[in-house]
Amino acid sequence: MSSSTHSIAYDPAVDAPKPHHPVYDYDSGPPVDRGKFAIWLFLATEVMFFTGLIGSYVVIRTGAPTWPDPSSRLAVDLTAFNTFVLIVSSYFVVRSLQAIQKGNRGALLKWLGLAILFGSFFVGVQVYEYIHLVHEGSTPNVDLFWSTFYAMTGFHGMHVIVGVIWLICVWIAAARGKYSAENHVRVELAGLYWHFVDLVWVLLFTIVYLF
Amino acid sequence: MSNQEHSEFDANKVFIALIIATAIEVAWGLKMPGPNWWVWGGLITIAFYKGMLIFQYFMHFKFEGWIVKGLILPTPILIMIVVGAIMPDVGFNQRLDYELTDMADPVTGEIHRIGQMDVGEHESGGAPAGEEGEH
Repeated sequence: MSSSTHSIAYDPAVDAPKPHHPVYDYDSGPPVDRGKFAIWLFLATEVMFFTGLIGSYVVIRTGAPTWPDPSSRLAVDLTAFNTFVLIVSSYFVVRSLQAIQKGNRGALLKWLGLAILFGSFFVGVQVYEYIHLVHEGSTPNVDLFWSTFYAMTGFHGMHVIVGVIWLICVWIAAARGKYSAENHVRVELAGLYWHFVDLVWVLLFTIVYLF
Repeated sequence: MSNQEHSEFDANKVFIALIIATAIEVAWGLKMPGPNWWVWGGLITIAFYKGMLIFQYFMHFKFEGWIVKGLILPTPILIMIVVGAIMPDVGFNQRLDYELTDMADPVTGEIHRIGQMDVGEHESGGAPAGEEGEH
């Protein structure tokens, strides 16, 4: 009785399903986190996207006999302040990553929260600027200046909104204790995207508002 | 982060450099007489300096391994190709095809000139260095 019971018992060492592929005792993946690999690849495509936008603007602008002085049409001082706000938010993201690398979850939440706040403020100022311009009649169909202005700042603004939503998701996950000194790659990925958005704005601000 | 131990940098210094560069850039763009190549060159230089600071330090590119650097390598090459492709339009285009008020028909794609526009006394040339309105 006991021997027959023993013969049908499940022994994982013997009866567990065998893998259908070779099992190695080392990680055969690339020597970088897969998420990081993917985000850098994605950012490379984003660079080309904005290169196309800026390239089109340069062709149109240099091909126009006249072009208005941006400072006569746009609130450069307000946008310069907004640029400052975005750079500060980027700095806060750096601090948040440094905090979680040291295992400080409280500081992560604080710095990330500030970054979200400043990022949202940036979006708010841009929405305010758009509303003000549209009320003045400066819509994208007026002329090429406004077409290119709305195209470039609009696409960038959408990226900022995505970035803010992404940072909020990371903040919520951080509040639930999902990140630690050993596991924080998602904070870094969101940060990489956010810094890229900041980098693009640095160039766009110069090209659209100061040239 | 695999290379966390190498990525320690003084974020405060980079941040202050970015703020100072932005202040200089705004002052340069608004106060300098222009537009001319000198002003534009200064603005581009400062913007690229800021961009490099963000890219190298905030995005940790400086501390990344060969695989990320190799991944990004084709991008500047492609940008150069794009720049080279648009240079004939930018540098040698004497026809100045694009009136400020040109609009493309959203259905046919045909270009319509919707009239002369008052660009005001602050008007500046699309082409650089005192070439405004000469074409």
